[in-house]
Amino acid sequence: MRVERIDDARGLALCAAEDGSKSTVEIALVSVEPGDRVLVHAGVALTELSTA
Amino acid sequence: MRYVDEFRDPELGRVLATEILAAVEPGRHYKFMEVCGGHTHSIYKYGVDDLLPENVELVHGPGCPVCVIPMGRVDDGIAIARQAGVIFTCFGDMMRVPGSAGSLLEAKAEGADIRMVYSPLDALRIAKQNPDREVVFFAIGFETTAPSTALTLKRAKAEGVANFSCMCSHVTIVPPLRALLDSPDLRLDGFVGPGHVSTVVGARPFEFIPADYGKPIVVAGFEPLDILQAIRMILAQLAEGRCEVENQYSRVVPYEGNPRALEVMAEVFELRPHFEWRGLGFISQSGLKLSDAYADLDAELRFSVPGVRVADPKACQCGEVLKGVIKPWECKVFGTACTPERPIGTCMVSSEGACAAYYNFGRFAREREVV
Repeated sequence: MRVERIDDARGLALCAAEDGSKSTVEIALVSVEPGDRVLVHAGVALTELSTA
Repeated sequence: MRYVDEFRDPELGRVLATEILAAVEPGRHYKFMEVCGGHTHSIYKYGVDDLLPENVELVHGPGCPVCVIPMGRVDDGIAIARQAGVIFTCFGDMMRVPGSAGSLLEAKAEGADIRMVYSPLDALRIAKQNPDREVVFFAIGFETTAPSTALTLKRAKAEGVANFSCMCSHVTIVPPLRALLDSPDLRLDGFVGPGHVSTVVGARPFEFIPADYGKPIVVAGFEPLDILQAIRMILAQLAEGRCEVENQYSRVVPYEGNPRALEVMAEVFELRPHFEWRGLGFISQSGLKLSDAYADLDAELRFSVPGVRVADPKACQCGEVLKGVIKPWECKVFGTACTPERPIGTCMVSSEGACAAYYNFGRFAREREVV
C-alpha cells in the first residue's frame, strides 16, 4: 500500500491499495513518509518496501 | 501492478525453470519444504510445481496459522463467546475451524455474538463502541500477526479500554521447524523460508538450520518468480557444497527483521512453557501468552475456559500433512468427507492450508508433467 497521509499524534496513516481502496494503518513499527510503500498485515505496516 | 506484475512474468519463469532443470543432478531426488502456507497457496495457484523437474518435490510445512490451532482452543473460544454480554471477535478463517462440538460460525448461528474482524484494531474499536459489553479478540498467527495484537493491547492499555481482552493463541515459527528437523519421519534437503514472518524476525533466527542440521534455507517472497528463484538458490547451494541462510525476499525482508516489532512483542508477550499444535502435539516454548504487565487484558484469566485437550478426529490426517509426511490427497477423507464447504481438518479451512490449496486448484493425485 502507498502512504497518503500521516496522523503523527495517533500513529496512524491513511494508505491506498493498488486498486484505489483506502484504509487506516498503524505505523508505529516503521518510519515512513507520504508516498512510501509499505507491507501491511492485519492493519499494521510491518516494513517499508525497498525499490532496490 | 507494481511489485507484483514483474514477479509473474511468464518468460522469466521459463528461464528460471530451465536453470532449475540444469541445476539438478539426474538420479537424485530433492525434497524441499516450503514453510509458509502463503507459499503453498502460490505454488498451486500459479502451477509452480508444474515447472519443476520430476525429481524436485515440494512438501508443505506447518506455516498456516489457522491450520495449527488445536480443537481444544476452538472449544475454549466458543465457551467464552457463549458467555452473557460477550462480543467475540476473530479473523474470518477462524470462524470455520472445527472444534469438538462445532465451529465459531455454528456458535454464531446459534446466537453467540461472534464478529469477523480484519485487524485486532477493529476489535478494539468495537470495544470502544460497546462500553457495556466485554469484547474479546481471538489472537492467532505467527510473528507476522503478533505485532498487530501487541500494538492493539498497548493501545487498549494506554486508552484505558477496560472491556477489551485477548485470548492469545499466537505461535512462533522456529520451535516447530526444529521439531520437524528432529523428526525421523522426514528427510528434507532444504527449506523455502517464510517471507512475511521474516519481515518481523529477520532471517537470522533460521541460522540454526544450516548450523545444526546442515540444510540450506532461502527466505522467499510469494510471487511465482520469487519461489522459483528461491528453489534455484537452494539448488545452487547444494551444487556448490554451501549451506547457509540466504534472503531472496530482500525487497521486503531486512536480515535483522523489524527491531521495533520485536521490542513491542517482548513487552506484551512471553513464551508459554509449551503449547499444543494441531497434529504436532505439544512443542516447548512455541506459543505466546500475555506478559504479567498485560495480564489484566488476558481473556483466559478474565473468563472461565474449559482448557481441555481434544484429540483430532480419527479420520483426519492434518498432522501428517502439516509435517509433510503425506500429500493432502493421500488423506483418507480428502475431497470426500472433508471439503472446503464442510471441513473436518483445519488444513481444508484456510486458503493457506495445504488441503484447501490442493482442492481449490485441482491438484489431486495426477501425473506430474515433465518439463
